[in-house]
Amino acid sequence: MTSIATAGASVSEQHAAIAGARPWQRLVLLGIGLVVALGLPWFVYPPVAMDIAAWALFAVALDLLLGYCGLLSFGHAAFWGGSAYATGLIAIHLGVPFPVAVLGGALFAMVLAVPIGYLSVKRSGIYFAMVTLAFAQMLFFIANQASSLTGGENGLQGVPRSFFGIEAVETDSFFFYYAALPIILLGMWAAWRIVHSPFGRVLVAIRDNAPRARALGYDVERYKLIVFVLSAGLSGLAGGVFAVSHGFVALPELHWATSGEVVLMTVLGGIGTLWGGVIGAGLIVMLADYLASSGFDGIGIVTGTVFVTVVLLFRRGIWGTARHMWLSRRSS
Amino acid sequence: MNKRRTVATASMVMAGVLVTAGCGAGGPSAGGGDFTDDKVVLALLNDASGVYKDVSGPNSKIAIQMAIDDYQEKYGDEAVVDDIEVTSADHQNEPDIANTKAQELYDREGADVILDVPTSSAALAVATQAKNKKKLYMNVGAATTELTGAQCNKYTFHYAYDTWMLANGTGTVVTEDGGKNWQLIYPDYAFGQDMVKSFTGAIEAGGGKVAGTIATPFPNDNFATYITKAGAAKPQVIGTMHAGGDLINLVKQYNESGLKDQGIDLAVGLMFISDIHSLGVEAFEGTIFTDAWYWNLDEKSREWADRFMEETGDRPTYAHAGNYSAALQYLEAVQAAGTDDADKVVEELEGKKVEDMFLRNGEIRAEDHRVIHDVYLARVKGPADVKEDWDYEEIIKTIPAEEAFRPASESGCSM
Repeated sequence: MTSIATAGASVSEQHAAIAGARPWQRLVLLGIGLVVALGLPWFVYPPVAMDIAAWALFAVALDLLLGYCGLLSFGHAAFWGGSAYATGLIAIHLGVPFPVAVLGGALFAMVLAVPIGYLSVKRSGIYFAMVTLAFAQMLFFIANQASSLTGGENGLQGVPRSFFGIEAVETDSFFFYYAALPIILLGMWAAWRIVHSPFGRVLVAIRDNAPRARALGYDVERYKLIVFVLSAGLSGLAGGVFAVSHGFVALPELHWATSGEVVLMTVLGGIGTLWGGVIGAGLIVMLADYLASSGFDGIGIVTGTVFVTVVLLFRRGIWGTARHMWLSRRSS
Repeated sequence: MNKRRTVATASMVMAGVLVTAGCGAGGPSAGGGDFTDDKVVLALLNDASGVYKDVSGPNSKIAIQMAIDDYQEKYGDEAVVDDIEVTSADHQNEPDIANTKAQELYDREGADVILDVPTSSAALAVATQAKNKKKLYMNVGAATTELTGAQCNKYTFHYAYDTWMLANGTGTVVTEDGGKNWQLIYPDYAFGQDMVKSFTGAIEAGGGKVAGTIATPFPNDNFATYITKAGAAKPQVIGTMHAGGDLINLVKQYNESGLKDQGIDLAVGLMFISDIHSLGVEAFEGTIFTDAWYWNLDEKSREWADRFMEETGDRPTYAHAGNYSAALQYLEAVQAAGTDDADKVVEELEGKKVEDMFLRNGEIRAEDHRVIHDVYLARVKGPADVKEDWDYEEIIKTIPAEEAFRPASESGCSM
């Protein structure tokens, strides 16, 4: 557990980042972030832009758990994929506007997270990772077997993008991006709010020294369970948007490789930073997209090399390193 | 303080510049005239890096280029369009990537048709995109009958093979030739389950019976217990629905089990010539399977296979030949329609009787867009009978087009 804690920002550093950053600096950062989010579909192909946004929220949701509570979940595909299926089924069978379906999916993910979280948070470190992985694999096989509901191997096809009959949004990915972006931003805001609340401070305290937090009177397991469920809900929002954007849900959403990919993104960007997940997601999705049409067949080699390089050279991740350099330059 | 302000201003300016620069590239592309962008673009979307690379992969791009060359040679100055391009993307067998890439190929790369797309979930996702974008899609590499069944649509065509055709070929013919008593071994996932259903139907229709079915985990290495169990029931034929690496392991273990000497035959659900090539004929000797096409079928196919070999160094699988044929028939339809307008091209294709190097007695069925043609029941030769590299198959029966595929009336497709 200590390795994760040291790889993330230390408490004092976090305090410096929170207290030390002037409001206008944060506003500028936020402004740039918003401009990029709004401008993204102009630079990259809109469906890819939507993928980036969804993965970014997913990575932020994982970071909430990994970076701020020190819990490495290796089964977050269960919530991303579980919500994707729930969203798809709601959209297909009820025909409601897609934001409603996505919210339904996120709710499903949270409900799912209660029993899984309840049993998982009793363990920590590698055992926590293994227990979450086991639950995610169970869900994978259930979805595979329940083919009358999920379409099994063929996937759940034909998820509609109903949006109050506005045709531009329903058919054009460019406009759909702007219709779905508020959901993603809402999720990001929620994550930011959680981290910067007293509740978030308690999480960091638990991460750094759980016995001490317990000695101070905090119910450690309850806090862990709550953040687990919140993280699952945000993953669910992301997974639901992803499902509607693609118009179908397939088994790989629930596969352990999806859990691995989001961990990769988060670590790449820098854990315990929130922004890091966004950068990691952007990088990985763009890389995968670029390599898919490059005619180069060693896609795994490239992403693997990037990951190894970042882990060896920038242990804080891309964003974490940048912030660390910025802060240490200022304090010297 | 000054320095910081400069940094902030610079970032804002940068962001502003980027946004303005992007505006020009944003809007949807305008079309006009008989040909969008004055050219025809054929897009290959398949697995260029994973398990299906040898079955189709990048070599299919060469096959498509050969179709373009043949089209241009045939029509010369008469061709309705001069500029024909082929582009490709790797879907890595991921339905998500296939889905995004398909949209990108249609929207950004101006693809008029997407070809190949193995892996059922990816194939179905692309079919939905074809329907939404109203652009053509000719699937060659996927096995699911859903493409021409419940999830069929006006712009999707299915070439080469599917689970029904494989089961019907091997199941019916082997049963009618005396293999009445079957044991089926299958991997426990959608493809395997579908195949067992189709095989059971075909075997019973042929007057045989399936005495038992044995599910194995997927993927799996050790099949010894399953093979022993199947052999203990003393069937005439053991049918396996495994593919790729699992198939290779299963066949090896079947050979070691000694069942072959007891007269228990092995029939394979899905096999490509590249599978035989990678393991060698010794391992597969005597195995019976259904083939959509074989390079050494006759003069016509051989001539094409020689050209293909010159370009790639390998003999073609039926997926390569299928991609060639799909590209060629698409271009013929464009020639006849005088435009790349999808609706008009579909009109040309529907119900058309076709004959080429790949399609024998072929017809592009209008009802469900299944492309039917003669298919073949093949037996893998023994090492002594192999006269040259890749000369692995003996065609023991030709199944006529009308009998080879699921009848349109049973497809459940409504367009």
